Amino acid sequence: MLRVENLTKVYENGTVALRNVSFTVEDGEFLVIIGLSGSGKSTLLRLINRLIEPTEGRIFWNDIDITALNETELRRVRREIGFVFQEFNLVERLPVLTNVMMGRLGYLNPWWSLFYYFPTSVQQQALAALEKVGLRDKAYNRASDLSGGQKQRVGIARALMQDPKLLLADEPVASLDPVLAHSIMGYLEQLNQERGITILCSLHYLDLVQRYATKVIGLREGRLVYEGTGEDIRHMTDEEFKQIYGEEARRLGA
Amino acid sequence: MADGRSHARQKLAYLSWLVPGLGHVLAGAWTRGLGIALAMATMYGLAVFTAAQRARFPEQVYGISAQVLRQLTVLSAGTLLILWVLYRAWARRWEHDELARRAGRLGFLAVAIAVLTLAGPRMLLMTLPPEAERQLYGSVLVAMAGVLAGMWLWNGLDATRLARTGVRAGSWDGFIALVLVGTLILGTRIVGIDLPKAIREYREAGRILADIVWPWRAAFDYRETELRATAKVQAPCPPGESGPPPNEPKEGEPWVVVTPTCGELSVRDTKGKLTYGTLLHIRGGGFVPGKKVKIKWENPIGNEFTPRGVGPTEIEVGPDGTFTTELYIPDVVIPEFAQGPQIHKLHVVQPGALQFTGKLSREMKLALQAMLESIMIGFMATFAGMLLAFPLSFLAARNLMTSLRTTAQGLVGGVFGFAGGAWLGYRIAQALSQAVGGLERAPVTVALIHLVFVLGSAVLGFRWLSRQLDRWSERWPAWLVDGVRYAGFAAMGAAIGWVLGLGYAHGILAIAWDPEDVQRAAPGIARVGAALGALAFGVLAYRWGRHRPVPIGKLIYASTRLVLNVIRSIEPLIWGLVGVVWVGLGPFAGFIALTIHTVAALGKLYSEAIESIHPGPIEAVQSTGATRLQTIMFAVVPQVLPQFTAFSLYRWDINVRMSTIIGLVGGGGIGFLLIQWIRQVQYEHAGLAVWLIAITVSVLDFVSASIRKRLV
Repeated sequence: MLRVENLTKVYENGTVALRNVSFTVEDGEFLVIIGLSGSGKSTLLRLINRLIEPTEGRIFWNDIDITALNETELRRVRREIGFVFQEFNLVERLPVLTNVMMGRLGYLNPWWSLFYYFPTSVQQQALAALEKVGLRDKAYNRASDLSGGQKQRVGIARALMQDPKLLLADEPVASLDPVLAHSIMGYLEQLNQERGITILCSLHYLDLVQRYATKVIGLREGRLVYEGTGEDIRHMTDEEFKQIYGEEARRLGA
Repeated sequence: MADGRSHARQKLAYLSWLVPGLGHVLAGAWTRGLGIALAMATMYGLAVFTAAQRARFPEQVYGISAQVLRQLTVLSAGTLLILWVLYRAWARRWEHDELARRAGRLGFLAVAIAVLTLAGPRMLLMTLPPEAERQLYGSVLVAMAGVLAGMWLWNGLDATRLARTGVRAGSWDGFIALVLVGTLILGTRIVGIDLPKAIREYREAGRILADIVWPWRAAFDYRETELRATAKVQAPCPPGESGPPPNEPKEGEPWVVVTPTCGELSVRDTKGKLTYGTLLHIRGGGFVPGKKVKIKWENPIGNEFTPRGVGPTEIEVGPDGTFTTELYIPDVVIPEFAQGPQIHKLHVVQPGALQFTGKLSREMKLALQAMLESIMIGFMATFAGMLLAFPLSFLAARNLMTSLRTTAQGLVGGVFGFAGGAWLGYRIAQALSQAVGGLERAPVTVALIHLVFVLGSAVLGFRWLSRQLDRWSERWPAWLVDGVRYAGFAAMGAAIGWVLGLGYAHGILAIAWDPEDVQRAAPGIARVGAALGALAFGVLAYRWGRHRPVPIGKLIYASTRLVLNVIRSIEPLIWGLVGVVWVGLGPFAGFIALTIHTVAALGKLYSEAIESIHPGPIEAVQSTGATRLQTIMFAVVPQVLPQFTAFSLYRWDINVRMSTIIGLVGGGGIGFLLIQWIRQVQYEHAGLAVWLIAITVSVLDFVSASIRKRLV
């Protein structure tokens, strides 16, 4: 269970990205965060695995206070939390396989990294993960050779290598076309249902939200303005959606 | 009311006619006034300084030249003012004619310059006695007086405009032009530019330029060969015989035929009168056409000499390589005991044909060897520099370091752990060094032992104590944690303050104080420094509190940058001097110099490459739970590798170029040879070195440029 309490983030330049946000996510839930660009979605996701430091508030992951951990303990928690990025964030000059194996770094002796060495078992695991996302044949290509959708699948495979209990996805389909968007969301749903991985995902498109979410929270200017179940959102009209989401909201494929 | 006051204030600008810039400042045009005052004061000072440089003891002449310059300036200013008034009258007359006004302005400039130039010498004579004139650069004074008068006029007119309109801004063009003219005049004098001399004595340059531009004759060895043919002549003729058989002409080699082959010697009596002996007819061939042959005589005991007064001894060779001549048998002093007929020899010698051997000369071999040495200095320095700069560059990269924070107690633990570890490691290293025989017996081993133990133990101490303090502070009561933090910070501050205090005493006070007084006062000052430092750090400890992290990364980043910048701003030639004193003349000194500079330069370039990387992969790797090392290896290094390679190649290129001149200060390589040959006035050999450098550098430039193009 993930519990966020009174989370506030003020950046060094004075921007208030998140104001006093609290919510809980039960295990196995598919939580979608909606909100305009700049409403604090990315900040919220990055605060959860402390890629950025919170200004105030606490985050409890299975009753461990993530905000109070020291560096070593934090790394141990991060291993269990996968992260999928909008811009994929692959290391373009390295082979696809290496990019996937990097997901396992938290479990390996750091000194091996000096030689870019991975045990054979990790290699096997990475190949299996690539198999799962249908990119087994691209394992030895450079990551820069892949298309956008393929890169995002590599990103998911990398997150899978962590054996995550929780998966954070920051607009994973915003850079992709509609068909690819559904296939990527499909993978996430599969992980959610088959492996019981809790998923926190920020999204832009109403029909994707309605199709995949089991719970939804809405952010506006850093404040939590909406909290509802998947059922709630499926009964929501476009007009209501626009009220919390803003005028830019639209349906994918509409 | 306010309007009236500001109006009165703006009238103050007229004061600039009296003291340049003063009126501007009073009227509120601060920068303008200060700029004018500063520029004029500088020009005035430089003019006086330059004019006085001709004197043997300039100190005594500064006063004279200052006075002369003042009087000249007043005279010039008066002249210019009169001309300006005349111009204004002209301009008013032609107020509506743009062309005439422009012509008037140009005319004013031309007339002003002409008048100042023509009247200059006369004005100079009015202001100082002739014997003083020889002490000064009169022309500089006259020209600078004109410039200063022009600046003064511009300043006055600008002030007038300011007083009338109150507009503080305005064009600087005229003033800048005057400053430029003044600087050019002073620059010409100070640099000692003497164009007539350069033109008059151009041949001097031509002589050595020819050697330097085309030195290739000096690159090879030559054998000097002479062609020689010999005929035997007997004197006197043996009874009943006609001497040795005559030579026969031969094909393909020099020959000489003398007839007859025996005869009487010439005789010189005591008064020096010569009685000719037998006349010899000489024919020869097989020599180089168009050049002269020399005839030499060899007496029976093997002494060779040029016969005198008995016929021509230098004969032109005909186009077919033959010649004929006649010669009396010369007078030869024969020892008493040598009786009877003796065999003499007649040589025909053609000297001076240089033969190309195809072998490199000694100097060329030396130059090639030194060139190789230079290239290797450059290569090794680049390599060593890369190795050292690589880890440093991560410390100097802002994006990696800003996120590095530590708790205050972690910092205290780290610093004391580091210091304690270093001390312990040093003791161990000392003991081990004694065991292997000390610095004299095994210098490398001892150095390595020190490096490994001091550094290793310091780092271990750093990690251990900083972690332990972090861990303990969770269990300790608050007062103990606070106490440790304050005590630790105060101790650090005291140490820094102590050092700064000593530095102040021995560095700054020692400039003016007596050394003994400094010695006596230093401990006290250091103690005061320590107290102040402890206080300052105590405040920091309060600020950083128990939970707020210390931005240690920013501190490391800033100090690494500072050190790199300082090292980089010192030229390799100066590091070369340090190297020569350190390890003596030779390539190793050059290597040290270039390595030091390379570390600083590459450290900066590398760290800037790191700062420009895409931050996404770093986030991605961090969120897998990777450590800092793993993040750097997987997210940073692959991204910066192409740029690192390009920068390193570029640096190699620079280093080879630098290594060719690092020898000028004794750092080995071809520069060492070059400066030697130049000092020995062997310009042809110096030319060889210059050529080799040029070839190497341009080849390398091309190669590294094309590799870099492929990489980036």
